[in-house]
Amino acid sequence: MPVRTKRPGGGGGPGPELSAGVGRASGEHDPGGAATTSDIPGPKPAGSGQAPGGRFPKVALVGPPNSGKSTLFNRLTGLRQRVANYPGVTVEQRTGTAPLPAGSVEVTDLPGVHGLSPRSMDQRVTRDVLLGRMDGAPAPDAVILVLDATRLESHLMLAEPVLALGLPTLVVLTMADELGRRDGALRASALAQELGVNVALVDARSAQALEPVRRFLSTLGRETPTCPVAPTASSPAENDASDPTERSLPVVDLFADRRQRARTIGRSAGFRAPRPSPVTHRLDALLLHPILGPLAFLAVIVLVFQSIFAWAVPLMDGTEALVAGSGEYLARALPDSWFRSLLVDGVWAGVGSVIVFLPQILVLFFFISILEDSGYMARAAVIADRLMHRVGLQGESFLPLLSAYACAVPAVMAARTVGNERDRVATIFVAPFMTCSARLPVYALLIAAFIPAGPLLGPFVGRRAAVLLGLYALGLVVAVITAAVLKGTLLRDRPTPFVMELPPYRLPSARSIAARLVDRTRIFLRRAGKIILAVAVALWVLTQVPRSPEGGAPEIGDSALGRIGQVIEPAIEPLGFDWRVGIGLVTSLAAREVIVGTLGTIYGVENAGEESMELQAALQRDLDFGSAVGLLLFFVFALQCMSTVAVVRRETGGWRWPALQFAYMLALAYAGAWTANALL
Amino acid sequence: MLADVPLKEEVVLVRIDLAGDDLEPLLERGIVPGCRLCPVRHAPAGNPTVYRVDGALVALRKETASCLCVRSGLEAAGVLDPN
Repeated sequence: MPVRTKRPGGGGGPGPELSAGVGRASGEHDPGGAATTSDIPGPKPAGSGQAPGGRFPKVALVGPPNSGKSTLFNRLTGLRQRVANYPGVTVEQRTGTAPLPAGSVEVTDLPGVHGLSPRSMDQRVTRDVLLGRMDGAPAPDAVILVLDATRLESHLMLAEPVLALGLPTLVVLTMADELGRRDGALRASALAQELGVNVALVDARSAQALEPVRRFLSTLGRETPTCPVAPTASSPAENDASDPTERSLPVVDLFADRRQRARTIGRSAGFRAPRPSPVTHRLDALLLHPILGPLAFLAVIVLVFQSIFAWAVPLMDGTEALVAGSGEYLARALPDSWFRSLLVDGVWAGVGSVIVFLPQILVLFFFISILEDSGYMARAAVIADRLMHRVGLQGESFLPLLSAYACAVPAVMAARTVGNERDRVATIFVAPFMTCSARLPVYALLIAAFIPAGPLLGPFVGRRAAVLLGLYALGLVVAVITAAVLKGTLLRDRPTPFVMELPPYRLPSARSIAARLVDRTRIFLRRAGKIILAVAVALWVLTQVPRSPEGGAPEIGDSALGRIGQVIEPAIEPLGFDWRVGIGLVTSLAAREVIVGTLGTIYGVENAGEESMELQAALQRDLDFGSAVGLLLFFVFALQCMSTVAVVRRETGGWRWPALQFAYMLALAYAGAWTANALL
Repeated sequence: MLADVPLKEEVVLVRIDLAGDDLEPLLERGIVPGCRLCPVRHAPAGNPTVYRVDGALVALRKETASCLCVRSGLEAAGVLDPN
């Protein structure tokens, strides 16, 4: 499929103004005729050197979900990207720099949206960013509108309000390959003429896709034209969708008219809708089959858990050997001193015991990425919808809750996509019950220590994997019950509609999966590097004071840490935990996985002199079976994560919900652990 | 009502009996009066149902589909979208 770009032609139209504006900027500021890849006719494009004020020209990527926007973003920026939050709100802001021959451009990947009305937080943020109303984020210098060519007509409905903003815009139509394969047709040049902006028809996953985008970006000069483009199909009602107070037409008519205009534009551009994808049709017949569908759903879930537990083991063993080996090497290489003790017994034991779990977390994210990118996740949501509905939640809540299996923090943020406010709060409230990846190290450690390995159901489902699955299921069940209770009481509401798009099945691209895994590794290591390192060092210091009468390190029970532990011991004694676990519970308030590092440090210091004692063996010594199960239950229920508390406070606009959530989850955790300790 | 349409029968949307924020998610996805909808398959639990609209697959619950007033595609032929 050839990649076509075309400048809008015709005299006096909005197009030439665009090129003239850009051209003027380029004439004055072209940095020494730097090589550009552009072959766009007309005035020589500007090198996109730094704009005044020392910032790069800013470009925003806008488009509906599943349009290939993020694929394009990853292609443009590679690993030069960062994730932050917009000030005041928690919609993720992904920005990155795209290096171009003539200078860098800052690219922002906005949330996937279908429109610019401020109905959901994602749409509000997108609109505010584009209008330059977002604090600390000046309006972008240009917009790249990413639309799915196979769904041109309905996606063009988004083009109308975006083009009405009057920013220099490139429309990138993705899925060009799919359009051709399924007998669809479209003339990008004709569409460019219709819209009055550049249009590129590309396959976002091919390297070619970047060419027209790069060409467009390199035309961005210092002085961006103020209002170069007017939409061809303008009407007074046009901007109204972005501001409900100004709506003059009933909303249905507004969209029906917009849809009609999109159709007219599509026709003029020779758009022929593609046939339905036969692959998707056949796969859906299987995966949404009344009997095979749910079986496949279960099989997928079991596969994920089995792989986390069984098949990640060689990787973990490797990592563990690496950490242990390097620790021993350091211990031998360094002279016996407090510094060696800090480094080996404090830092290495603490941070190392958490790093070991990186492979498992990566395996989990590997599967989540495949499920999302392949299109199966939406099918899973459809299969799970009956359950969600019975609970009183939306199908929309399913994706945030599913992503809470990775981490509650993005899940709480992702709940922004839930349009209904009460459903959003309910989703946020129960999200931390989903087993996040931070619990995995704790589960893995305790299961390995207390549950013997062995097959349970044939060779594919081991006993340990089954216990892990059970813990995940328990979190889910409690979340479901909690949501049902909330929706029946504090958050009672009438039901709202459920609209879930099922994207066509696609082969996930290795590149986008790799990008996400790198992202996760970074986040995990940063946490291990900051929080866990700080905790490990602080704990080590607390184990070293007060000095013993001989001037050396005290017995751990006599140390400051031991004394603190003994103060809290009465509170946790009914649960069967000793003071070491108690310290772990306190430090895990920062983040759950910190308990593993904490125990690593405590036992590391305690046993520094002797044969290095395995963490598992130490736990087997200090916990009986009942209290180990209790500890597992405690981690299933308790909200030990400051980041989650902070994000819930921000998302719900006060302390009321996070305080209630924390207290409720702590009460459940304590009751669960107490019961397990008493009964087992 | 869309909820009563048998699988594989294409219909034309006449009216949506929903308001405000409930309405917009449908409209933004091209589910506007005059568009063609075709139920493709039910979810394993019988609900929601997957519809083909505008070349895309969209799942709607029965409760939502009951708010979508439709007429048969044959009746509407020639009136809207001769293609």
